[in-house]
Amino acid sequence: MQVITHASVNVESMTTSQLRRIYSIRQLRWENSTPIVVFVLPSKHIIHKNFSKNILNIFPYKLDRIWNKLTFSGLGVAPTVVQSQEELLKAVSNTPGAIGYVDNLNKETDVNVIKISI
Amino acid sequence: MLMLLKFQYSVSYKTWIHHAVVLMAMFFICQAYGQEDNNEAWQVHGFIAQGLIDVNGSSFVNNDGALSAELTEVGINGSYQLNDYFRITGQAVYLDGGNRYVEGARIDYALLDFSVYQDNKWLVNLYLGRFKNNNWLYSSTRDVPHARPSIILPQSKYFDGFRDIAMGSDGLSAKVVYSSDNYGDFDLYFSYGASTLDTEDVKLLLGDLVQGKGKQDFDAQASIYWQPHFSPWQFGFSVLDSDFNYERTSADFFYDAQFSFQQLSSSFLYEGERWEFSGEITQSKFSQLGFYNDEFKNESTGVGVYLQSRYQFNNQLSLLARAEKFYANKKDKNGSKLEQNTGGSIPSYFGYQNDITVGASYQLADNFRVDVEHHWVEGTSRLTPVVMPNTEVNDQRRWNMWAIQFMYWF
Repeated sequence: MQVITHASVNVESMTTSQLRRIYSIRQLRWENSTPIVVFVLPSKHIIHKNFSKNILNIFPYKLDRIWNKLTFSGLGVAPTVVQSQEELLKAVSNTPGAIGYVDNLNKETDVNVIKISI
Repeated sequence: MLMLLKFQYSVSYKTWIHHAVVLMAMFFICQAYGQEDNNEAWQVHGFIAQGLIDVNGSSFVNNDGALSAELTEVGINGSYQLNDYFRITGQAVYLDGGNRYVEGARIDYALLDFSVYQDNKWLVNLYLGRFKNNNWLYSSTRDVPHARPSIILPQSKYFDGFRDIAMGSDGLSAKVVYSSDNYGDFDLYFSYGASTLDTEDVKLLLGDLVQGKGKQDFDAQASIYWQPHFSPWQFGFSVLDSDFNYERTSADFFYDAQFSFQQLSSSFLYEGERWEFSGEITQSKFSQLGFYNDEFKNESTGVGVYLQSRYQFNNQLSLLARAEKFYANKKDKNGSKLEQNTGGSIPSYFGYQNDITVGASYQLADNFRVDVEHHWVEGTSRLTPVVMPNTEVNDQRRWNMWAIQFMYWF
């Protein structure tokens, strides 16, 4: 499992806490104030489940609840859901400020790979 | 189609036009203020849910006890990011719940979201317009079928008769989010505003015979939620203060009145991989001056509590169990004083309402789910109308209901 960002994002490593803040929509900008654009796979997708449980340490249903609350209360905006790993990779590589995750990265793809520390 | 034919507006055209004009004005102001536009800034989401509900022994949904399809909820919302600082968003819903609340369409929220400050640990937002109540555990998703724990929520806290007043207000609200690697996540909400009450809302609250006008003077709320770092636990506390008044007409049976409502509430939530536990305890002080005559005074403090558990059996199926107690007056838990003070016209079981609920949710497909549940209820204090209850239909201390609801969302 690898966490990736758009090539213009000037970040080499992140902690699990930082990632959790981004995916639970508690941090909306990178350090240089660029808006963070979050892409995710559908909740049932095995890669999303693995990412959620093993990287973020949040159960997938909990993320769904956070995003539903934002979406249906007017408080904020939930991540953009894409249907496949290929689509996610393409979205992250084409969107400035984007972040996503893949389990099998093609080395030729123009994205940043983020080191995750606890 | 039937639903469309029955479509009625529960808020006046004037209110709708007001919201539209305010949103358009906000749109142009913020466009002028903003530094850049985001072409991918539109988001649209919604839900549609239809069910059947059968209540035996009370007027919770209808007065004849027949199986009812008055379990319809439809909603659509949109969000547009104007620039780095401003976003406009709104949600309209259509609801049909029989006697539970006024049938028709509503604007749940229509607001301007101003991002006041943000860094990697703090978020501060102001919301101007009609905003949703975000202060209780399930208040912001109580009308979103797939995002709430059951079809019928615990009435001690989420009383359907107060739905339109408790759902949100026109005014200003604020959200402050703080994330600490040492102490965990803190969410604070503040709000100040008021809701518009039309004739049907007033009748639902006070009784069918009223002819005057009701007005909410203000609704002020605040809450704090804390989740320790990497913890499955969350704890919350909220306060509410609100005043209403009733203005009689010249031919009215009733008198001018003032109603005051204060509430303290605390909650907990545990979210494990398969087990989930939650609960809320609420104390509400209700004061009344007038209505039956100019000098009439009444004060009571009600208490409600529920404990709820959910178990995720597998990827599709989850099970629910809940126990709930509510006393309209904690000094009269069995309602005997209520019966005595009204000369026997209001039976004692209107002084409390206890509910045992079991239910299940089954995920039929992505974004498509069915919920089913059964309630065993004792007492009738959480039925509409509130001030002058329907004692003719509600002539039993114990009643029960079951419901099934299919829901789709996008």
